[in-house]
Amino acid sequence: MTTAATTKPTTTTTTTTSAGYSVFRARRATFLLHRRAAAVGAGLAVLLAVTCLAYLCVGESFVAPGEVFKVLTGRPSPDELVVGTLRAPRLVVGLLVGAAFGVAGGLIQTVARNPLASPDIIGISQGASALTVGAMTFGVTSYAVLPYLSVVGGLLAAVLVYVFAWRGGLHATRFVLIGIGFAIALRSVTTLFMTKGDYLVAQQAQIWMTGSLNGRGWAEAAPLGWTLLVLVPAVAWAARAQRTVGLDDDTATALGVSLNRVRLGLVVLGVVLASVATGAAGPVDFVALLAPQIARRMTRTAQIPLVCSALLGAVIVVLADLLARRVFSPTEVPVGVLTAAVGAPYLIWLIIRSRTVRSGGRA
Amino acid sequence: MSRLSARELTLAYEDRTVVRELDLAIPDGRVTVIVGPNACGKSTTLRALGRLMKPKGGAVLLDGTSLAKLPTKRIAQQIGLLPQTPVAPEAITVADLVSRGRQPHQSWWQQWSDADERAVTEAMERTDVAALAERNVDELSGGQRQRVWIAMALAQETELLLLDEPTTYLDIAHQVEVLDLVRQLNHDRGRTVVVVLHDLNQAARYADHLVAMKEGRIVASGAPSEVVTAELVGEVFGLECVVVPDPVTGSPLVVPGAPWRGDAGVPAQGDTREDTQEGTATSTAVTSTPGTAPKR
Repeated sequence: MTTAATTKPTTTTTTTTSAGYSVFRARRATFLLHRRAAAVGAGLAVLLAVTCLAYLCVGESFVAPGEVFKVLTGRPSPDELVVGTLRAPRLVVGLLVGAAFGVAGGLIQTVARNPLASPDIIGISQGASALTVGAMTFGVTSYAVLPYLSVVGGLLAAVLVYVFAWRGGLHATRFVLIGIGFAIALRSVTTLFMTKGDYLVAQQAQIWMTGSLNGRGWAEAAPLGWTLLVLVPAVAWAARAQRTVGLDDDTATALGVSLNRVRLGLVVLGVVLASVATGAAGPVDFVALLAPQIARRMTRTAQIPLVCSALLGAVIVVLADLLARRVFSPTEVPVGVLTAAVGAPYLIWLIIRSRTVRSGGRA
Repeated sequence: MSRLSARELTLAYEDRTVVRELDLAIPDGRVTVIVGPNACGKSTTLRALGRLMKPKGGAVLLDGTSLAKLPTKRIAQQIGLLPQTPVAPEAITVADLVSRGRQPHQSWWQQWSDADERAVTEAMERTDVAALAERNVDELSGGQRQRVWIAMALAQETELLLLDEPTTYLDIAHQVEVLDLVRQLNHDRGRTVVVVLHDLNQAARYADHLVAMKEGRIVASGAPSEVVTAELVGEVFGLECVVVPDPVTGSPLVVPGAPWRGDAGVPAQGDTREDTQEGTATSTAVTSTPGTAPKR
């Protein structure tokens, strides 16, 4: 506005505001950054790096960190095959899947205004499963095709839930309840397909449905990575949109937010992320539920911190897969078993806690 | 003059029509208070004035243009609205919540300007919540929380401000505080304020322009001294009363008729029920003890 602000157009300055945010200025643009979220994000990034290193080192044969670095920097190493061809692509898939689930869960929870909502509870994972398992029973077993089918399945399920929950607007509770209903219905459809199909198909479907990273290579990692990269600007938009969607409908509308449009955008983004992740690794349960809520408790922000949620989701999946590979060795368990083992008790705790808070808060 | 007005406004929830062909002009730079009995459509009307409700017929006009034709963000730069029961996100700080009132003046690449900073600081100072800036909204008392919400609406810096029963759930001291604040805002900045109130006496004290509604229609409107009469209170609220000048302000003060006293001279008999009848069916208890029948 004033000429003073534009005299030094290239300077980038930072100031602090009272609400726990820092303001970054670049020319006339200004960006808000939650200070505590930034610190937590940095911490999580370090934790993720350490976890990834451990993931590449530990396995049936231990590879020294020095050799891992050699492989990563493209220098010749005797561990090229184990680290570069077997562990690294699987790590990348796990990392991306975790991040995608972390963001997807955060978006769905924001729209539903409910920490219990997540793609694996409101039917999106089940839709992906139903179509994928259905295709398997009809003889489609190629991992080149199945991921796309599960994306389609997840999207279809989301459309159904959205249409049925819509009544002149989107009501958060109705959205969750209808989602849960569809999740149950779609799960029985999946079961039907599995009992129809032959034994081997059923077994493959079972493993896929638990969520597994076993045997994932660069062929799976690359399309997943590109898809997520394309979605990054949308996530940046969503991070800001979340600020007002978290308020009640009336207040948000009064602040000039086209709620239905913004919500639709957030849901679509969340569903696409969840479906893409499900396509790559199957529905790895509870990651989308856990990561956003834990991240929010760490950052103490009023909305779900999407970047922290992504980082935490990645840490959870990579760590869980590392354990899944090693704990019962030589047998490997699907990564979904481990995330469920941690996630289910957390879900129960969340339900118990939310009830006490609500009854106590109104007194 | 009035920037905001309603023309033949009809409002309905599903099939139930709440407001019928209502014409209303909000005088600029004044405090307008809408009163009326429960379910008379006063809150619904306010919601429509703030485009929270789509009219079934007619239109709400802002500077002559129907709200339905204006982008919602543009409306938000002109009209601020505080709903009846706003809900804050869990664990949000006061400063953070108030700063969200700046939403209509921001965009993705302009997330925080100097004007934003100034508006938020000023809004918090005016409402006396600056000292609470770092506190969580959940931890505050009802009165403090209401002031924080008003601060958020103020930070929006709109020329028109709509408040839906801002004094509900507050004790009398806080009610007066909030209404004084509204008056002050109107006085200092010449902002146009529309308030829905339950309390007729408060309405008469604080309004420049009073609108009385009943069954979705405007029964009377004008200066409180002209509108508030025993006759009108009887017509609108179905209440027998005496209207006297307020000893402090001189505005009309509604004093309802004498409270119910029961049958004169008969002592209260509510506690004479015999223990032996506790276990029997209620029907027999009523019929067998005519002397101790409930007062209803």
